Amino acid sequence: MNAGYHDGEPVVVTAALTGGVHGKEANPNLPETPAEIGEAAAACERAGASVVHLHARRENGERAFSTDRFQQVADAVREATDDVILQHSTGGTAAPEDRRIEPIRTDPPPEMASLDMGPLNRYDHLTSENTRAFVDRLHDEMRERGIKPELEVFNDGHLNETLAFLDRSDTTDPPYLNLVFGGGTTSPPSPRRLLTHLDDVPDGAEVNVLGFGPHQLPVTTTSMLVGGHARVGLEDNVYYRQGEPATSNAQLVERTATVAEQLGRPVATTTEARSILGL
Amino acid sequence: MAECPHLEYRETAGEQTFETARAYCAVADEFVQPMRADICTGRYGLAPSEDCEIYREAAETDQ
Repeated sequence: MNAGYHDGEPVVVTAALTGGVHGKEANPNLPETPAEIGEAAAACERAGASVVHLHARRENGERAFSTDRFQQVADAVREATDDVILQHSTGGTAAPEDRRIEPIRTDPPPEMASLDMGPLNRYDHLTSENTRAFVDRLHDEMRERGIKPELEVFNDGHLNETLAFLDRSDTTDPPYLNLVFGGGTTSPPSPRRLLTHLDDVPDGAEVNVLGFGPHQLPVTTTSMLVGGHARVGLEDNVYYRQGEPATSNAQLVERTATVAEQLGRPVATTTEARSILGL
Repeated sequence: MAECPHLEYRETAGEQTFETARAYCAVADEFVQPMRADICTGRYGLAPSEDCEIYREAAETDQ
């Protein structure tokens, strides 16, 4: 990754609109239907997001993995936005592997898709396994369909997994890592730990950072300060500040764009983002 | 057991109201996260008696 804010490199802002864990019960402004997700994507694009990270839901808000439902979401986003980059999630704790591949089988395929680099605990009894065999299977199909993987690195161990994956795979350059900070299986959040993580990121990689809940603003700001990119949105954090629910995904993107500009890093256009990410 | 006996679908509870009925846990007395609803419904082979700490704690209390 580049040296930092003084290089003035554009920041790629990703908006994680919906997620696959919580829903409107956590914040009624979280978009769930295709129409709502499309509308949110358009607002985020106007606010500075060049990438939208997408999940699909059933009408009652419950998780959906089918190609058909992702097609509806992708169509709604493309209809509502100008040029935003679509990044489909392939995450899905407890969902069968065959179901988790379905989101990347839309027509056209998304330009990007997430690729979880290892196991992740959920609640008291669930684990999203993400075995190496499944990571490779997902990546093989992404490569066949021309989809850029966003390598989701939930902790230090996943950094090891990522380095090994890059050694054995022929993924496109530059590698795009998403470092995750928060509770549970994710990396404990702190600027110092983020900087330590960056020491282990391979040369030439682009790095995005996300933080769950109250850690969203501090770790994404740190990332932008040291040359990385930022993901924000209601998937990761339903509050604007403590005790104040966010009014929209766009509100969180607007704040990130403001911070980036204040730090001397312009917000990437979609054209710049495609160049940075090697799309 | 397929579906959790504590699962209900409600449009309203307390101050929360939704256009479409959502998964509600009668034990926790709240709407549940969509991910947890997959356990409640027994989707993907999940079973409340094995995979849900809320169900298991309630079952232990009942004994």
